Amino acid sequence: MNTLRLVLRKLAGGIPLVLGVTLISFVLMVYYGPDLTYTLLSKNPTAEEIASVRAQLGYDRPFWWRYIDYLRELVTLDFGHSFSSGERVTSLLARTLPVSLALLAPGFVLGNLLGIAFGLLAAWHRGGWIDKLIMGFSVVGMSISFLVVIVAFQALFGVVLGWFPVRGWNVHDLPSYLYYVTVPTLASVFVALGYNTRFFRAVLVEELGRDHVRTARAFGAGPLSVMMKNVLMNAMIPIVTRVLFSIPLVVVSGSLLIESYFGIPGIGKATFEAITSGDQPVLKAVVGLTALLFVVILIAADVLYTWLDPRVSLDRAEAA
Amino acid sequence: MNPGADAPLTADVDARTPLQDARAAFLADRWAVTGLLTVLVCFIMALGAWLGLWATGWSELGDQRWAGPSADHWLGTNLLGQDIFQRAVASTRTAFEVGVLVAVASTVLGAVLGGLAGYSAGSWIDSIILWLKGTLDAIPFYLFVAAVAFALKGNPWAMHIAMTATFWTTTGRLVRGEVLRLKNREFVEAARALGLPHRIVLFRHILPNTVPVLLVQATITFVAAIKSEVILSFLGLGIQDGVSWGLMIAESSQEVLAGHYMNFIAASGFLFVLVMGFNLFADGLQDALDPKRAVKR
Amino acid sequence: MRSTLIRPIPGFVLALVVAALLSACGGSPPPQGKVYRHSIDGTPTSLDPAQSATIYSSVVVVNVFDTLYRYKYLARPYELTPNLALGLPEVSDDGLVYTFRIRDDARFTDDPAFAGGIGRAVTVHDLVYSLQRHFDPATRSRGAWLWQGRIVGMAEWAEAGADYDRPVEGLKPIDDDTLEVHLLEPFPQLTYTFATAFSALVPREAVEHHGREFAIRPVGSGPFRLTSFDSARATFEANPHFVRDPLDLAAEGFDPERHAGLGLESLDGGRYPFLDGLEIHFIEENAARWSSFARGNEVHNVMVPNEQVDRVLARRSPIRFTDEIEAKYHGMAGLEAGFVYGGFNMDDPRFGHHPDPDQDAANRAFRCAVRDAFDWQARNDTFYYGLAEVFPGVIPPVVPEFDPTLSEASITRDVEGARQRLAEYGWDEASLPTLTYGFVSAVQQRQMFEQLRAQLGDIGYPVDRLVPETFATFGDYYEAVKTLRVDLFYLAWTLDYPDAQNTLQLFYGPNASPGSNNFNYRNPEFDALYERSRTMQPGPERTALYREMNRMVIDDCVTISGLSRTRIHLWHKDAIMVPDREILAGYFMRFVDLVEPDQADG
Repeated sequence: MNTLRLVLRKLAGGIPLVLGVTLISFVLMVYYGPDLTYTLLSKNPTAEEIASVRAQLGYDRPFWWRYIDYLRELVTLDFGHSFSSGERVTSLLARTLPVSLALLAPGFVLGNLLGIAFGLLAAWHRGGWIDKLIMGFSVVGMSISFLVVIVAFQALFGVVLGWFPVRGWNVHDLPSYLYYVTVPTLASVFVALGYNTRFFRAVLVEELGRDHVRTARAFGAGPLSVMMKNVLMNAMIPIVTRVLFSIPLVVVSGSLLIESYFGIPGIGKATFEAITSGDQPVLKAVVGLTALLFVVILIAADVLYTWLDPRVSLDRAEAA
Repeated sequence: MNPGADAPLTADVDARTPLQDARAAFLADRWAVTGLLTVLVCFIMALGAWLGLWATGWSELGDQRWAGPSADHWLGTNLLGQDIFQRAVASTRTAFEVGVLVAVASTVLGAVLGGLAGYSAGSWIDSIILWLKGTLDAIPFYLFVAAVAFALKGNPWAMHIAMTATFWTTTGRLVRGEVLRLKNREFVEAARALGLPHRIVLFRHILPNTVPVLLVQATITFVAAIKSEVILSFLGLGIQDGVSWGLMIAESSQEVLAGHYMNFIAASGFLFVLVMGFNLFADGLQDALDPKRAVKR
Repeated sequence: MRSTLIRPIPGFVLALVVAALLSACGGSPPPQGKVYRHSIDGTPTSLDPAQSATIYSSVVVVNVFDTLYRYKYLARPYELTPNLALGLPEVSDDGLVYTFRIRDDARFTDDPAFAGGIGRAVTVHDLVYSLQRHFDPATRSRGAWLWQGRIVGMAEWAEAGADYDRPVEGLKPIDDDTLEVHLLEPFPQLTYTFATAFSALVPREAVEHHGREFAIRPVGSGPFRLTSFDSARATFEANPHFVRDPLDLAAEGFDPERHAGLGLESLDGGRYPFLDGLEIHFIEENAARWSSFARGNEVHNVMVPNEQVDRVLARRSPIRFTDEIEAKYHGMAGLEAGFVYGGFNMDDPRFGHHPDPDQDAANRAFRCAVRDAFDWQARNDTFYYGLAEVFPGVIPPVVPEFDPTLSEASITRDVEGARQRLAEYGWDEASLPTLTYGFVSAVQQRQMFEQLRAQLGDIGYPVDRLVPETFATFGDYYEAVKTLRVDLFYLAWTLDYPDAQNTLQLFYGPNASPGSNNFNYRNPEFDALYERSRTMQPGPERTALYREMNRMVIDDCVTISGLSRTRIHLWHKDAIMVPDREILAGYFMRFVDLVEPDQADG
């Protein structure tokens, strides 16, 4: 019952968050975002054409009316048509979002699992050569720009070795999926792994230094059981926090570089194009839905906290 | 559990010995010292570029493009015949500006706001901070940076402000989680039982325990800031005027496939050295500050 | 309680991922048969002909829709030839009435918008509708300016509410296949405008049925039918209803010498389109585009990016490919139909037009000094690999009115002359104006800025006086230019048709901002000549006027111009074609054939 109440309250508590996100981003896009007028006009526009395009884009309406419209669109999940292509925003999302999820899911899962595994290994052998080797590699991984990794992997696997496509997303069954997803996955794992390993190791080292772990080790508990029972479970809060909260970022912006370099029609590229072109209907949808996703994740995280560490009392988390 | 063991730096009992211990331990760690020296060398390079002592000719055009390394041009020249070495050195300054400013600002902001939120979990302070954090997190990064860059048109700090406003939330969330975890510990309860003001309990007893997390986070933020600059510069949202490794890598991302590597090698090499140095330094620092060091060794 | 709540969450995430995988896998299998994969360096946003203002949109539009005319595949300089039309139009003696006849066997592709889902025949009523659409504000046309103030009754029709059921006085269908166009004044470029993507014929049913989504679900009568479209590529299948006379290679301008070894001979007399499927890949990054081409089984063609020029060419002048390239690919180089140029905002009295004749002369001296400081040779060597053609003035080499004998003084660097000019008119360090130089924030634009700044430094112009202002997008940059917020700009112009009138209108006073005259150049003499030449048929008399206008623009130092880039195209040997995107946009794709069905799918 407590948990149910918590979820309901958090849902209600999510409303200010959604309002905050939408308001701040709407202010940013209305007052500071690119003006689409001149992009839509011809090479030789007249003053009437300019006025007419501005009216069609709604630029001449009062801010608050437009914001209320936005909220209504968010409730009905109907964001109208893209300013630049005319495509329905909902069909644009339905087209691009699954592609991004399919593209990023393997890299995200692998990057985190491998990060935890390497982090454990390094933390357990802290100071030893295994630790140094792993940390050395993770530093190398962290120091190489994502851009360069993408260009290098594309050239290596696509052109030099010729095993995988250079670009494209022509997925219609499992083999074709693996064919197209492998190089982007390798690139994103390569880049994420350094950060993840480093982060997870730091957390686990901290946990390993705790008295109860030291005690357990002193009493001769095997590495695996100590790791699993005493360390991993206790380190779950930071780990889960990191993993959960990277989901929306991965979905919205994490894929931008991969998608544009590998020519994959996903949501990251669509969003960035909407940002730079001032395509407000698309932006409004992406921003609003991201905010909703965040509310869901916030609830999930708080429930998980209480589950992972009973000392985090429900009352506290509930009000948080 | 012994409260004394968990309150290291500012332990009221004896503040002298642990600090001296930490210094000795740090100096004994060869890698950490190497890291520190590397960061110092980079810092001096940056300082010199900032004061105009060297690398002043980074924007001068030369006659020869794509020149190889020579006595005149240590790392060769780029498309415009500009000296790549000077550009890389001049970029060190940009990197420190971006990295240090963003890391310090977001760590301080994150620690204070995250600590406040965690400590006062459930109160209106926590709600407001959480709301702000959630709001900033839920706005896509590139949209935010682009929007802030637009909003502060021409302001050279637009990118820094945008990054700080985004990066502090991660630190804040971690600190809040830690504080939530720590505040039910015995030593905190004891401090509260003694009737110490909340301010003291939070800033002197709880937050010092989050220093390892903060250090790791500050390193990550420093590196993240420099690396975000690369991507933002590639997207055209980075620094407005001047030169940076990000701009150089953006240039080189088109050049490497055509066989011109010096721009890329110089920029990513400098970047690599600085990041590596910073990491080694931070790791050593973290180890040295760890109160349980004596037990582990 | 705890576990019951926890379990659904991973389950939910898993379900989401599985759902995503499934729907992402729901794409259609690749098309069978001969599929040509083309690459271009940008992405179209709208496929509605009325909005096809970019080369990227036009490439797609002319393959999906029909225009009355197109350009001959292989003839250079570019020559018009009928497409949907039957022959060239009959023009009345006063040049005011054009009569167009179109084929009676053209059909739109099948679409739910049509009765029974079956595409109907194309008539001249569709042309009337398509032209009317440009003047309906709801269309947001980007091509209306082509016919603005030209067609009798069009302005009145728009004024009266753009009701498609009301006729436009100057567009008179005689029967389903014949249309009379009545003009307000002679418009010798009219036939050219009917070869632009803007003029493509759209069916009213489909526009009304699909609404705003018509821009991504185009329905036309062109050689291909669009099957999918997103930001990475567009895919097409051959339109089975498309009927044209067999390909007459000689009539298309085939030159056995120039086109030797390309295999084009095998196409003669064939029915086009030859392909079963077509894919156009939108690849903005040079490195990715080159890699995709070099891989072999992905895109068939590439426009060689600057960084690869050294590897591709053994000699620059004349262009010769390296043996390695020669062995693997077919290649061809040609000048773009357009040029890049710098320009001043003449509206600014600090350096532009000034009512006081002395100050006006001093301002002109300043602009000329900046032009003299500009080093086109360095610009060409640095950014265009020395392959581009630098020419004086604004009539580029690709148009017939180009004057190869014009003095090159305006494109020759003269640092000493520039210093003298400044000194002569009293410009010194204190009085030199600060110039805002705007550019889109991208690597190359920034490098160009740094080069310009250093070059201006050579004539004693302080480096901190040239202030960079960066813009995240071209739209923002363009807005800043249109609203006079940048003093000095660097732009590219792509010709809509091969007639110098298309570039001279950039300097016509009444076209000043927000019109196409970004310079805000106002010269009554120029305007008078422009108005005279506007209605003249091509010929030596008009060319003389064009050249006179060109000289005025050069003398007034309004622009730093110009340079036409050389495009180097490479394509795989299994593709039988001559790719050229200048003027022709995507018209050549209907003539592309593949040596054998390409089994490997990229």
